[in-house]
Amino acid sequence: MLKRLNKLPSYLYIALCFAFFYLPIIVTIIFSFNESKSLTHFTGFSLRWYGELIKNQDVMSAVYVSLSIAIIATAISTVLGTLTAIGLSNCRKILREWTLTVNDIPIMNPEIVTAIGLMLLFSSLKMEKGYLTMLLAHICFCTPYVITSVYPKVRELDKNIANAAMDLGATPYQALTKVIIPILKPGIFAGILLAFTMSIDDFVISYFVSGNGVMNISIIVYNMTKRVNPTINALSTLLILVIVIILLIVNLLPLINKKKSKVFNRILAGGFCLIFFFTAFSYFHSSTTKVLKVYNAGEYIDTELITKFEEEYNCSVVYETFDSNESMYTKLLSGEEYDIIIPSDYMIERLIKEDFLQEIDWSLIPNKDNLIPEIMDKSFDPGNKYTVPYFWGNVGILYDTTVVEEADLTGWEILRNPEYNGKIYMYDSERDSMMVALKALGYSMNTTNRNEIYQAYEWLLKQKELVDPIYVGDEVIDNMISGNKAMAVVYSGDASYIITENPNLDYFAPHEGTNMWYDAMVLTKFCEDTDLAHKFMNFMLDEENALLNTDTVGYAGYTTNDFEEMKNTTYQGVSAYEPRTGNEKDEIFGYQDSETKKYFSELWTKVKSH
Amino acid sequence: MGCLIELKNVTKTFDDQQILKGIDLKIHENEFLTLLGPSGCGKTTTLRIIGGFEEPDSGEILFNGIEISKLPPYKREINTVFQKYALFPHLDVFGNVAFGLNIKKMEKSVIEQKVSKILELVGLSGFEKRDVMSLSGGQQQRVAIARALVNEPKVLLLDEPLGALDAKLRKDMQTELKKIQKEVGITFIYVTHDQEEALTMSDTVVVMNDGEIQQVGSAIDIYNEPENRFVASFIGDSNIIPGHMIKDCLVEWDGYEFDCVDKGFKENEEAEIVLRPEDIDIVAPEDAKINGTVKSVVFKGVHYEIIVETPDRDYMIHTTDFHQVGLFVGLTIEPEDIHVMYTMEWM
Repeated sequence: MLKRLNKLPSYLYIALCFAFFYLPIIVTIIFSFNESKSLTHFTGFSLRWYGELIKNQDVMSAVYVSLSIAIIATAISTVLGTLTAIGLSNCRKILREWTLTVNDIPIMNPEIVTAIGLMLLFSSLKMEKGYLTMLLAHICFCTPYVITSVYPKVRELDKNIANAAMDLGATPYQALTKVIIPILKPGIFAGILLAFTMSIDDFVISYFVSGNGVMNISIIVYNMTKRVNPTINALSTLLILVIVIILLIVNLLPLINKKKSKVFNRILAGGFCLIFFFTAFSYFHSSTTKVLKVYNAGEYIDTELITKFEEEYNCSVVYETFDSNESMYTKLLSGEEYDIIIPSDYMIERLIKEDFLQEIDWSLIPNKDNLIPEIMDKSFDPGNKYTVPYFWGNVGILYDTTVVEEADLTGWEILRNPEYNGKIYMYDSERDSMMVALKALGYSMNTTNRNEIYQAYEWLLKQKELVDPIYVGDEVIDNMISGNKAMAVVYSGDASYIITENPNLDYFAPHEGTNMWYDAMVLTKFCEDTDLAHKFMNFMLDEENALLNTDTVGYAGYTTNDFEEMKNTTYQGVSAYEPRTGNEKDEIFGYQDSETKKYFSELWTKVKSH
Repeated sequence: MGCLIELKNVTKTFDDQQILKGIDLKIHENEFLTLLGPSGCGKTTTLRIIGGFEEPDSGEILFNGIEISKLPPYKREINTVFQKYALFPHLDVFGNVAFGLNIKKMEKSVIEQKVSKILELVGLSGFEKRDVMSLSGGQQQRVAIARALVNEPKVLLLDEPLGALDAKLRKDMQTELKKIQKEVGITFIYVTHDQEEALTMSDTVVVMNDGEIQQVGSAIDIYNEPENRFVASFIGDSNIIPGHMIKDCLVEWDGYEFDCVDKGFKENEEAEIVLRPEDIDIVAPEDAKINGTVKSVVFKGVHYEIIVETPDRDYMIHTTDFHQVGLFVGLTIEPEDIHVMYTMEWM
């Protein structure tokens, strides 16, 4: 009795462990079948996201890239690592120990260091970043793992084992394939599994060494998380399924008798070859003559338009995504070359200043008349010499009409109203939060006056005292859909989407002014086929295409037709959809000098850690 | 018996250390030849050169009159039983034994027949499906021998194959190996540092030291007629005494003159006299030239080891008769039991 009682805590512990390990996976699987876009509310069973996944060309090509790179890198690093391990055992002791120590360095090294090292190496070798560089990088970081798992098995070998095989008539090659490798099999197999898993879920290194639109699953998932997108769940579920199948195979393999396993091995090998050729085919198939390189924020285009453009103009679009204007800029600095980029206002100002862009030839864009006049001729590019407008919007307060009193909606000050203590989300971004405070104080959000900035800092500190806001990123979307808090500072485009999902919410942009933002397509000075680039921009301004694009992305449209159409259909009655125009106090972010930028982040860090 | 393998002035150097200093050796058909010597004497290197696992720095190796020193091991009609057997752990007993035949792509039925025949020879019938790592040391040893012999080599090399076995099993395997060698009728080249093992099994013993061959001969020759002090001291126990050959068949040491059977020395040439402990008889003091006192008696199982102290030196004697410590005794030696060797310059 006592014994059984004693066991209870240990069972409980195991149960907790399992819950801890598997709950996230179970949640992912359940929500991959969710009918709606919510990541927290299960509204009904549907296979919608799997359908979207298969339709999403980007995701499918990322799956190919991940799988093919994992398979090729595993194969090559297994051969390299195994031969190295065997060779090492015959080396002088000093050489062996040094090699093993050096071999451990990439494993112990922070991944980011390896990643940057490889990126610099490829840059200095003037290798164009893409599939090949990613493959080489994967081979590079997988091989040490193979050596580490094979070498101990090599040490266990009788030092005469190869001699014994040759003594019995085997050539050195036969000794290797018929004796040494079969004996090392458990170690090699462990190495293969390690290398494969390391390769398939690598993000950091792949992110840095890839380019030209080559993305693996982790990179594309990373870009997708910027916006709520349940296709990630579907993708994750499929990956889990693959891993489970692999594990089953690995564990069942010893149970199958030898003869069958031979057949089985062949099937397995055949399967891998098929995937490989399929991948290679789809990869090379896509390399036609004319190429346009487009660099855009993640989830910021209807990818079907890209396919449509490729078909219409018989070219191939290398489409890559970034997660922020800053990381896009870093990539440009590292020497990456694109034809068209779609950055935001302040970054465009910087790119113009630093001579990264070339002028637009508007005569090549007949669809220019479709553009909304309100988004033309803005401060960052007067006269639209360099920019073709894209989506736009502002920042405001999303509030729950059932909780927030209409009378309290006076301005930004509502964010410090003690009545809503603990019910407020702020945007976790230094510039957006400082904007709120500066505007509340009646200053310009582009101010460089230290005194004004310091007052804004104090405003935010006081706000923290009064209402204890939570600083969030994109998870605000899901949380507001679920009605978790009364108010949130959000972008208008996100607000209109959230309101369509939760009609209890409404949006308001304080009269003291707010941040108006404009994204636009720009032509880089690296672009050679400017004709094709202009065709692309013109194509995006086509009314039908623009409508498709706005419908997918959900921000305020850039052509009169799609803007009006969306306003009257999907977003009928949603005030957030139409960004306010004509308020004198509304501003556009300007390019910040580095001193101010530094001061901003210092203060922001202090606010958050207060 | 024709000459099968001939080594001509074979040398080998590892890391500036000369392991073999010019080996000349003839190995005959059906011969059980043992390379005997202390560790580091070069015996294993000699074997590995014959097997093809090392290449000599200079010299020739003739196999049936054909130079083979550049031939890789898989092209030689020689098979080896390695020190720790080097069995293939991923294969069962059958797989290990059939390995060489499979490499030669023999027919399945032929392989099965050959394997079962050879397993019967080494006494492992019915062990085909056993995992080699689950076998005892002696059984692994037999698998290693079967694996080599099934290829019907002209020569079988054995590198201290019994080193890992316990004393009882060693004795059994020694007889067994000799029996197997007679049955298959091929040349065995056997490496050991155990002189008893060498004397028990070999037709020919090659005593090696320091990269050189010291003596080649039958077990009896080596034991009874050691050519130098090294061989005498390495093979069995002996009393080695400095003295002179007065003339043919007359030797002198410690002032005593003895008749002997050795000839060919110069008059009064310095020499060393080897007296095997079992060849010295203990008699009454008055019946012998050499007198002394029994200093110690140790029982060794079959015999007593007795040390007799004389004014000049101590003598070791093996005898089945017991003698009290402190007893004053005489020592006699028959002329044919006195063995006279040239004094080695290096000693």
